[in-house]
Amino acid sequence: MKLSDVVANAGLAIYAQIALVLFLAVFVAVAWRVFRPSRKADLESAGGMALHDAPQSDSPTSRLGAIA
Amino acid sequence: MTTATSAARLESFSYDDDIVRKFMWATLLWGFVGMLVGVIIAFQMAVPALNLGVPFLSFGRLRPLHTNAVIFAFAGNAIFTGIYFSTQRLLKARMFSDALSKFHFWGWQAIIVAAALTLPLGFTQAKEYAELEWPIDIAIAVVWVAFAINFFGTVARRRERHLYVAIWFYIASIVTVAVLHIFNNLSLPVGALKSYSIYAGVQDAFMQWWYGHNAVAFFLTTPFLGLMYYFMPKAAEKPVFSYRLSILHFWSLVFMYIWAGPHHLHYTALPEWASTLGMIFSVMLWMPSWGGMVNGLLTLRGAWHKVATDPILKFFVVAVTAYGMATFEGPMLSIKTVNSLAHYTDWIIAHVHTGALGWNGFLTFGMIYWLAPRLFQTKLHSTRLAEVHFWMATFGIIIYATAIYSAGLTQGLMIRAFDQTGRLQYPDFIETVLKLLPMYWARALGGTLYVAGILVMWYNVVMTWRKRPAAYEVPTYQAAPLAPKHVDPAPALPNGVWARFQAAHWHRIWEGKAVTFTVMTTVAVLVASAFEIVPTFLIRTNVPTIASVKPYTPLELAGRDLYIREGCFNCHSQMIRPLRYETERYGEYSKPGESVYEHPFLWGSRRTGPDLAREGGKRPDLWHVRHFENPREITPRSVMPRYQWLLQNSTDYGTIQQKVDAMAMLGVPYGAIEGGRALTQAEQMAREQAAAIARNIEKEGGPAGLQDKEVVAMVAYLQRLGTDIRKPAPGTTASTQGVTRAAPAGGQ
Repeated sequence: MKLSDVVANAGLAIYAQIALVLFLAVFVAVAWRVFRPSRKADLESAGGMALHDAPQSDSPTSRLGAIA
Repeated sequence: MTTATSAARLESFSYDDDIVRKFMWATLLWGFVGMLVGVIIAFQMAVPALNLGVPFLSFGRLRPLHTNAVIFAFAGNAIFTGIYFSTQRLLKARMFSDALSKFHFWGWQAIIVAAALTLPLGFTQAKEYAELEWPIDIAIAVVWVAFAINFFGTVARRRERHLYVAIWFYIASIVTVAVLHIFNNLSLPVGALKSYSIYAGVQDAFMQWWYGHNAVAFFLTTPFLGLMYYFMPKAAEKPVFSYRLSILHFWSLVFMYIWAGPHHLHYTALPEWASTLGMIFSVMLWMPSWGGMVNGLLTLRGAWHKVATDPILKFFVVAVTAYGMATFEGPMLSIKTVNSLAHYTDWIIAHVHTGALGWNGFLTFGMIYWLAPRLFQTKLHSTRLAEVHFWMATFGIIIYATAIYSAGLTQGLMIRAFDQTGRLQYPDFIETVLKLLPMYWARALGGTLYVAGILVMWYNVVMTWRKRPAAYEVPTYQAAPLAPKHVDPAPALPNGVWARFQAAHWHRIWEGKAVTFTVMTTVAVLVASAFEIVPTFLIRTNVPTIASVKPYTPLELAGRDLYIREGCFNCHSQMIRPLRYETERYGEYSKPGESVYEHPFLWGSRRTGPDLAREGGKRPDLWHVRHFENPREITPRSVMPRYQWLLQNSTDYGTIQQKVDAMAMLGVPYGAIEGGRALTQAEQMAREQAAAIARNIEKEGGPAGLQDKEVVAMVAYLQRLGTDIRKPAPGTTASTQGVTRAAPAGGQ
């Protein structure tokens, strides 16, 4: 018996539907976790990282935003 | 964000901006080259004489050069520019290895040059966006691994615990592109620059469009979203509108995108369940995509007044808007009934260019205008010229899109039109092409305007570069290293599983664990891929075999390789959909079992010319010879290039045996036909068949002595296409063939 015979008789067609439900569940779980009010302050502070990514520097020109 | 225990000890470091400057210059160079090639082939569509009768300048060979140059050279270098700049700053660490950075840069440019040389010379795997032959594919894998080591090494050495959302998008892109590239390019070499895909027919198509769609997803979307989440707040001087939405955006895209590929194969010989699955996930993708678009646009809250005066923000706003339009249209096009109209037409070309010119192009331009003064440590030469570039590019897109959307709809509607007697209203395919010529002119004009805008940007950036200081200042920064063992500041967890789940900052912890994060992202991608692809490969009933379908003869195989070399699949499909207007025009619809020996599959994705799946036996051999010599002598005003060199070049009989052997290694049953003669006498068989075809051409009034010319091999191949299904299966009569013929879906 070949692997393809095993797989052909394994009823895999239903797997696609199971996966769809599975992935929807993950979506709902992530959404629920992320949008809980208790997480708001924590995550929103992380949202400012792009603006606060310049560490302490020995150079006055390291604040490159002033150059443009 | 570091712990108190390590805060007292500061480390000094500097950023490698030299590599960012290199990638930025490369972006500018290849952006111009890639889009210039696009303009050239746009003019070739309107004026076929511009193919100039030169093999390496013909549309079929230049089109993949255009797509590869724009995707991997322009967008690729843009991605690397942004990633090398933002990653160092977001992680507060210099890149892991300057040597790896340089290897990545020069390796990638060498790959681009190799592509620019091999594609016009006709070396291609015939898979869209994966045309490059096997040695270049190996080089891509090596360079990509070097990039990954450099990136993840930087992540490991970071001085910032939290991984900002842009880094997540980069991680997903790096991991997934590696997986896609390796699996789609598995092939058996038959020469220094020639190979056959290890997959065949339906499976090859499925693998290709799993790759092709996700190349759009993980090369043109997720890394650019990472750039958006970094550079948009920078330019607006506002934090991202909703970081929580960005998390949802990320996971939704990673989980859903990987499923959507089959929507490229609706109504083809693909299992119905796979097609439907691809459609459902594509429609679901609309939600996260628009979530990301809204998140990007609303980052400008309170800063909209700046858009009027800041060309960088203008570029970003249009880029994100184009992302929104393209990601609305994509799910819409994935709906089968809409797809039946749009597929094979210019509508898809318009959709792609909304994304490439609007989203990728404008985000890149905005990023470069933001980066150039910072990298060259001076002011931008001219804000006004940046404004001029913006408006040139915007009008270029508008002209392009208006023309090509019109062309797509026009041809789609003409192809399916029936007259009042129930016959095709436009039975000659050329009628549907000639109608598009004014739109092709408009497209070329729009493209020219867009490319001219890039020249303006070139001037602006070069003038900015000329004002750079004699030596770049390299600032030294200080930050605390991460504590060896991170202690999350979360409060003590309550008792009970549910209470712990609710209270645990598990995602917050996860965001700080790069390895776990990367593994989970990879698992998400691989699981989805396995669920979708494995059944297609292993369930036999998905690809029912047809007893009368046999392997190509050695000469036909050689002809097929010429068809691939000339890029004929760029304009001709070989896939008749089970729709009435298709079967009326072309004949019996295509079956999965007809493609089982097709390494690679050649179903195509666009019809500038008619479908060829049932071309065999429709016309005399001489018709094809004359048509290759000058298409306009056979079909007045045809836009097909001349292929007169096929009548001059000699067939390479010396490699035919090698090709047959390679196909046999891939499972094509040459041993089972004619006593396995092709396995030992392939060249002799090819010469015999060529002599017979050449005699027939001469008998039909054509030139003599063509038996050694490439055109004969090409004719052999074309005359075979789609004919097997009409032959009786071995041991049966014609009336009892082993093919179940279902009625086509009528009336669409």
